[in-house]
Amino acid sequence: MLTKLKHLLLKIIDLTALGFLEPIVRLCYGEEPGTQVKKIGQFMMVPVLVFLLFIMVWSAFAPRHKTKSGEVPTPAVTFDSYRSIMTFHGREGDKERAYLATGDAREKWLAEAEARLEELKPLRAEAEAAVEEAEAAHQGALTATYDPALAEYNEARQAAMEESKQRIAKLKVRAEGIAADDSAAKGELLAVYRAHTAQTANAKSDYQKLKQQADAILKAKFPQLAAARARLTRIAEEEQYLKQLVKMLSGGNREARVADGQTKLDALRAQYAGAEGAALFPLAKSINSAESRLARTAESAYAKPWTLPMQIIRSVYCVFVGFFMGSVIAIPIGVLCGLSRTFMAAMTPFIALFKPVSPIVWLPIFLIVIGGFFPDPDKHWFFTTLWNAPLIGWLKINPAFLASAATVAMCSLWATMVNTALGVASVDKDHINVARVLRLGFWPRLFKIVLPSALPLVFAGLRISLGVGWMVLIAAELLASSEGLGKFVWDQFNNGASDSFAKMVVVVFVVGIIGLLLDRIMIVFQRAVSFEGSVATV
Amino acid sequence: MMFHRRPRFRIPHKLLTAALVGLVGATLGQDASAIGPENVPAIEGGETAPLDVEKSELKFGFIKLTDCAPIVIAKEKGFFDDEGLSVEVIAQPNWKTLLDNVISGELDGAHMLSGQPIAATIGFGTKAHIITAFTMDLNGNGITVSNAIWEKMQENDSELLSPQPKHPIPADALRPIVEDAIASGEKLQMGMVFPVSTHNYEIRYWLAASGIHPGMYTATDIGGRTDAQVELSVTPPPMMPATLEAGNIQGYCVGEPWNQQAVAKGIGVPVTTNYDIWKNNPEKVFGVTASWADENPQAMLAVTKALIKAGRWLDQTDEDGNLVNREEAARILSRPDYVGADYDVIKNSMTGYFYFQKTDKRSMPDFNVFYKYYCTYPWYSDGIWFLTQMRRWGQITEPKPAEWYHQTARKVYKPEIYLGAARMLVEEGFIKESEVPWDTDGYKPATSDFIDGKTYDGKTPLAYLAQFEIGNTE
Amino acid sequence: MSYFEMIDVCKGYGPPSARHDVLQDVNLSIEKNEFVAVIGFSGSGKSTLISLLAGLESPDSGEVRLAGQIMTEPGPNRGIMFQNYSLLPWLSVFQNIEIAVKRVFPQMPRRERKSYIQKYIDMVSLSGSEWKKPSELSGGMRQRLSLARTLAMQPEVLLLDEPLSALDALTRAVLQDEIIRIWEEDRRTVVMITNDVDEAALMADRIVPLTPGPAATLERNFPVTLDRPRERKTLNFNPEFKKLRNEVSGFMMDLNQEARQLRVESSIRLPDIEPIDLSQVG
Repeated sequence: MLTKLKHLLLKIIDLTALGFLEPIVRLCYGEEPGTQVKKIGQFMMVPVLVFLLFIMVWSAFAPRHKTKSGEVPTPAVTFDSYRSIMTFHGREGDKERAYLATGDAREKWLAEAEARLEELKPLRAEAEAAVEEAEAAHQGALTATYDPALAEYNEARQAAMEESKQRIAKLKVRAEGIAADDSAAKGELLAVYRAHTAQTANAKSDYQKLKQQADAILKAKFPQLAAARARLTRIAEEEQYLKQLVKMLSGGNREARVADGQTKLDALRAQYAGAEGAALFPLAKSINSAESRLARTAESAYAKPWTLPMQIIRSVYCVFVGFFMGSVIAIPIGVLCGLSRTFMAAMTPFIALFKPVSPIVWLPIFLIVIGGFFPDPDKHWFFTTLWNAPLIGWLKINPAFLASAATVAMCSLWATMVNTALGVASVDKDHINVARVLRLGFWPRLFKIVLPSALPLVFAGLRISLGVGWMVLIAAELLASSEGLGKFVWDQFNNGASDSFAKMVVVVFVVGIIGLLLDRIMIVFQRAVSFEGSVATV
Repeated sequence: MMFHRRPRFRIPHKLLTAALVGLVGATLGQDASAIGPENVPAIEGGETAPLDVEKSELKFGFIKLTDCAPIVIAKEKGFFDDEGLSVEVIAQPNWKTLLDNVISGELDGAHMLSGQPIAATIGFGTKAHIITAFTMDLNGNGITVSNAIWEKMQENDSELLSPQPKHPIPADALRPIVEDAIASGEKLQMGMVFPVSTHNYEIRYWLAASGIHPGMYTATDIGGRTDAQVELSVTPPPMMPATLEAGNIQGYCVGEPWNQQAVAKGIGVPVTTNYDIWKNNPEKVFGVTASWADENPQAMLAVTKALIKAGRWLDQTDEDGNLVNREEAARILSRPDYVGADYDVIKNSMTGYFYFQKTDKRSMPDFNVFYKYYCTYPWYSDGIWFLTQMRRWGQITEPKPAEWYHQTARKVYKPEIYLGAARMLVEEGFIKESEVPWDTDGYKPATSDFIDGKTYDGKTPLAYLAQFEIGNTE
Repeated sequence: MSYFEMIDVCKGYGPPSARHDVLQDVNLSIEKNEFVAVIGFSGSGKSTLISLLAGLESPDSGEVRLAGQIMTEPGPNRGIMFQNYSLLPWLSVFQNIEIAVKRVFPQMPRRERKSYIQKYIDMVSLSGSEWKKPSELSGGMRQRLSLARTLAMQPEVLLLDEPLSALDALTRAVLQDEIIRIWEEDRRTVVMITNDVDEAALMADRIVPLTPGPAATLERNFPVTLDRPRERKTLNFNPEFKKLRNEVSGFMMDLNQEARQLRVESSIRLPDIEPIDLSQVG
């Protein structure tokens, strides 16, 4: 039984190419513990240590490198940004739930939120005071250091400019005294003028050094102030979130709004019942509109902004749609290319022409092409159907999404196409002979012999395609401003806040990890269709 | 000592001005800033009578600039909810995409440059009939030059050496630098955000006022660089500081927070704001396609109502005339899904301060105006001013009769929708009767609050054009 | 006229200018139900010969006839068992046989087909490995599977291309017995290629040596008159067997020497240059 489990585990590990787990399984079964421990050290501890080393190098060097536009975030700052992204996600989720909350749960939550809001008040006052104190301290420090430095700079500069002016005045006087035929004096004048410009330049570089020193003082970090501000920001943001939450749990809550609408409608109905004659018509109109409003309110949802986890899911979905589109095009064409040299010759120019084109070029083209099919996307049945579909409705698939997917398809299909063609063209001669002896027709030969034999190469191509597609997608989303990881990066870049770079670094890891997972999935598929003697796998 | 704390607002002075303006301006009708209320006290109560909106789930686009505030505030403070609207607010990568998304129907409406609905309607760039019934704000832009240019300007004009030089700063000190550059075979490069943006017209106005030619648009030169002494190019707002730091441009005109970012990061020096170029100039509008407004008249009214309320909330003052809601607004705007810049950067301009240099923090209570001075009303005269600038710089290639200017402005600006919404708000008790110019013909009084002192009267666009030395004059 | 025959068959490869003749004027006549072993050295064109018999390749001149009909393409009536098994590696043991059976007996009902296939799996002692992939089988098992597949097609002629060459001696003996057993069960026409004289003598009715290439041909016939069933254990002491073996081996050795002489004469003389030892220079 246990042996069976071991074999199953080892088989899974082999299939998923997670070879580094193998020694652990074997160690659990007590197989050659020495060898296994060594292997664990080699395949697990070494990568972990190298990664830790990377983090250390990163932590050490990041703070030393900064430009005026920003600074390289340290691992700690990056992790903080990750947490703030997740906090934002969590709070938006809370608001959505709050909007939909009903009954006792709503009351209870409301009480909690209000209590917390109350708790925050003194904290905020305290934080504000701390900021003011820090600001005063900062300014005090600056007054002591920056002001004299700046004054020194201004003085030096004034002096230099004054000297320069005086020299010019002297030169002018001198020039006036030179006669037309006095070439020696003329030469001298020119030399003196040259000396003057050199002197001016020297003086300038001197006082600019002073300026740099002064600027350096100004730019130097004042950790106390930064910390005080960060604390205040944290509190103020939580306060803001709680206020919004309270609103969503009280007057702004869907249940509350429905109840409110119902009360108004009832009042109108009562009024209508008591009215007569000309007064009836406007009341009928009001009742009708109140009814439709009530129905709308009852179905309304919180307009939740996109958060990173949602964007990740949309991106992954988008890459698969594009990957699927690309594969549907690439595999049949690749098969035809592999089967027919003529067809291959016909396709070669297209492959050569389109393969190197960047996603940045494809995207606007696809935006126009796809936009052409959906003149009014909001009302088009295709999108309205998708929006109302379960599970994927919230992804709000729109033309920008399709254009991004099409760009992914266009940029990633080449690897699959070329590999499929190669796979089909290079079927083992023995296998073809089998088909010939059996006198298989075209279709059975294609589906029973050629495709299964080409499958490992096709999947190797698909794996490359998915990798390329994932890389391309970020750029495409960025350009199309289609909600996803690319949009997140672009938004962060546009935000230009102090933690924007750190958030982009978070995306680096997110993209890397998801890319790794996608690759693993493809490896599993590739291994599943591989057979003895087919292309080597990782 | 340079870091002394200034009083939060110079109240006595402001009040005095307001009083004077109220007295003199009303009778003479000369000063544009004189029109409309100066203070916006809080109003208690008010109950919304919801409209039968045709469409209740809306998507609005915006660019990450602080002047998108009315849309964001209307959402966050629940003004859209009050009207029975569920609104999603989506950041757009650039003005072109934003406009394309509005035209394609991807977005229902958006925060737009004032020039965009006009240009789209007359067919400069993408052609589409876009209308607006709501002006989002006044002022709010600045012109920033690189540190190197600023130092040279200081050399040319020692007045600028002072830690707090006298404003407005014209481009006079820039002119020798431009000429030197041309003499050595180069042209200064400056950034603006879009060919029909207020920023483009403002930086051109500023340069031309000092005799620097910013270049003409022609039928073949859509980059607008013909005859240019300073070449202007389009750079997305968030890229401005980085592009300036990289040395690709030597200056730019952009909205907030990108001028304050330059100061905060020590990349450049804001030399002037558009408040000095044209006092209380219109900046952004809320634009929708004409067909959307036709199909959804009730939703259009409801949206306008919510936006007016948001504008009022943003400009609300206490009894001393202090803006009371701006810190909260700055907090909201600094959220990553809205403007996303650091709170401390956004706060400066939003709460009425502007850093020209680290040593030069000034109080500018009117840096962003969202409601007072009848700001939100869609003035025909505003549209006509943009048309005159489009003609001046050759974006409109042929001379047009005055009547064309008036008709085009009427096609784009829809005060009737605004007044309809305002009327409901007055009845519901959200705004005061006096806060809306009920009887206006849609033209602001003539004004000469420009950096070059020329007089603009929306009723006579051709006469205005004829005054310029640089650019088309008819 | 014989049942299965090759008449003046020539086969070569390459362009006319650099033609490499593999087979020249090959004549072979096989009677129905005869077991013929073609024996030859490696590289003598044995595989080309069997490809021609199978119809996988067509002769440059001459013809291949089966029951009087000229053969131009392969077909299931000539079941070929390839030297390197030619199993489809993505299919299981059962599926590898099934693909052939489905093709040859398309009308056979599902259930019947299943038991039919099972019969052949049992016949080659692969029971219990039905769902294994070829990669999980040993060399002998693969060879047996290949045999089962070929037999399941019930071909009129069985072509075996060095079926046992890649196997170790023990497995080889087992399979030899198995092939003979199966052949004796329902006698079919068999052409087997081999390089082992003992194997040929043990199994075949007639041994036909192939002269070494290039331009190989069939020269002589050695009929094997030993009684069946032939006992492996006693065969080695059978004088007739010894004689046959010596005869065939002797013939083959002579051929080989002849060929070697031929080859030396035609080979290029190498220039007589001593390589310079760089370590000794200077």
